[in-house]
Amino acid sequence: MASIPLVDTVTGPSTSELWRTRRDKERYQWSSFGLLTPTFGLLILLFLVPMGFAVWLGFTNLTLVGPLAIHSSFVPWQQLTRLRTDTSFWSSLWVTGIFIAGSIVGVVIMGYTLASLLMRAVPWMRMIVGGIVVVAWMMPAVTAGITWYASTTGGGAFATLLGTPNSNFLDNDPLLVVTIASVWSMTGFAMLVMGAALRNIPSEAIEAATVENASTWQRFRMIVLPLLRPTMTAIVLLTGLLALANFSLIYIMTQGGPGNATNILPLYSYQQAFSFNNLAYGALIGNIMVVIATVFGVFYVRITARRL
Amino acid sequence: MSEMTDTNVGVPESTTTADAPVLPPENRPTQRTKVRSATLNLILGGLGVLFLAPMLWLFLASIDKNASWGVEWPHFSLINFRHVLTGSLLHSLWNSVILAVISTTIASVAGVFAAYSLSRRRIPFKGPLLLFIIFSSGVPLAILVIPVYEIFSKYGLLSILPTAVFLSVTSLPFEVYLMKNFIDAVPTDLEEAARMERASTFQVLRRVVIPLALPGIAAAAIFGFVNAWGSFVVPLILIGPQNQQPAPIAIYTFLTLPKAQFGNIAAYSLVFCIPVFILYTISSRLFREGFVLGGGVKG
Repeated sequence: MASIPLVDTVTGPSTSELWRTRRDKERYQWSSFGLLTPTFGLLILLFLVPMGFAVWLGFTNLTLVGPLAIHSSFVPWQQLTRLRTDTSFWSSLWVTGIFIAGSIVGVVIMGYTLASLLMRAVPWMRMIVGGIVVVAWMMPAVTAGITWYASTTGGGAFATLLGTPNSNFLDNDPLLVVTIASVWSMTGFAMLVMGAALRNIPSEAIEAATVENASTWQRFRMIVLPLLRPTMTAIVLLTGLLALANFSLIYIMTQGGPGNATNILPLYSYQQAFSFNNLAYGALIGNIMVVIATVFGVFYVRITARRL
Repeated sequence: MSEMTDTNVGVPESTTTADAPVLPPENRPTQRTKVRSATLNLILGGLGVLFLAPMLWLFLASIDKNASWGVEWPHFSLINFRHVLTGSLLHSLWNSVILAVISTTIASVAGVFAAYSLSRRRIPFKGPLLLFIIFSSGVPLAILVIPVYEIFSKYGLLSILPTAVFLSVTSLPFEVYLMKNFIDAVPTDLEEAARMERASTFQVLRRVVIPLALPGIAAAAIFGFVNAWGSFVVPLILIGPQNQQPAPIAIYTFLTLPKAQFGNIAAYSLVFCIPVFILYTISSRLFREGFVLGGGVKG
């Protein structure tokens, strides 16, 4: 058997493997291209074209209304200088960083904690708590925003629960509150994915370590964490990407305020483009988001493609 | 043909054994493990309460006729629901349905063709194309809304139908990725049998691949629907006419009214959530079914 290459002796050759070993010329079926056309046509038209257009748009001085809405010109240096000297932009970038980092840390910790507790919980507890967390994740961002606004404003649920009915958490710590809301709305996904990954860890590995007198912390650090790493990396990157684009939640809760306290990049970009009418400048800020998203996206592709 | 499609798609034979949790070796619960388990359940319950707390307002205020932002025992009444299911608010929900159905249809039809082609066919630059699909499935395409706004406004497209097309593109890459994985799991034997009978590509897709990969296609379509249904910033920017605005914009408009109608906001938001909850529940069932697709071929 060993003399026949390319044939898996356990499962036998699959059709695609046989095709791969064909010695004649590769042939493409024309219908394959027909099948791909709608998807890639749409992606080119409404993803690649707008992205390319945004690069150009960001370097012009186009406005939403007024004379520059009709006669705009290409002024890259002016736009870049404006970005460099705009303190609101830098503060927005900083706020975005904190919001993303906070969301990632919160989601990973809460997701793991819940997933590992659920595994050992009594069944009815598992159903109720698991259900609540998943419902929080399923809730559309607009609804999550409303219900979080209601619960953290003066006289809301948290103020009542903590016995201080007049404290307005949303006004006192806006960035902290919206970050917690963001964690709340994304934990369910992390919990489900990590729960599946935890169930895939062979119990023999844990038992062997227990026999060797490994402490709980050692078992976590030496066995669970390394085996969970690919899953965790995927969750970190996806949470980062979703938090970066989480316009709706914050827009409903604070509209970026008070002041600029929760003005993350998508909100600032929207504000520049549609409230201050600087359409081109809004697009330029949007391009910064595209750059950040691309960095996350490239790492995401690298870990996902390994599983293809 | 009918015999072929009838061959128990997704009827699990081994799920009961495969899904059963791996039980730890039977050992007598000692006092220590009992305390430990009680503590674990208590912590979990505490976390559950923390996750539930922000939701309470939504449920209580929706059935309270004098609701406020606070959480209080409701003066029970269904008047809020009766208020919000009329007139322009009902119309906004209808707009959401139109937006989501059109966008889901476009993404699912285009997606299933591409997924099949990427799964089965020999295609030049297949690797890079797949990487591009994965990349755009991770990156939220809604961040391109400003350039899309500029393009749409230039061609007078700031209305509900073009917006539905853009929303379909934002969910398309992930749908393709999901459906490709499901189609990969469908055995090729049935397709080859159909080819022997001189079935065309379209017939193979319609009669063999789509029925067999249906759980995956449905799961992808549900993802697309929920994505379009919950979208807020895209319709906010891209839909001009007031009477074409979907429900999320109506919820936001509620908040900007000078006199807040708390009960109505809660009731409307809850109604808006219900389709999402139902669809996600169906979707998780489909995922469980999807993994036993091998049942399509008797062997």
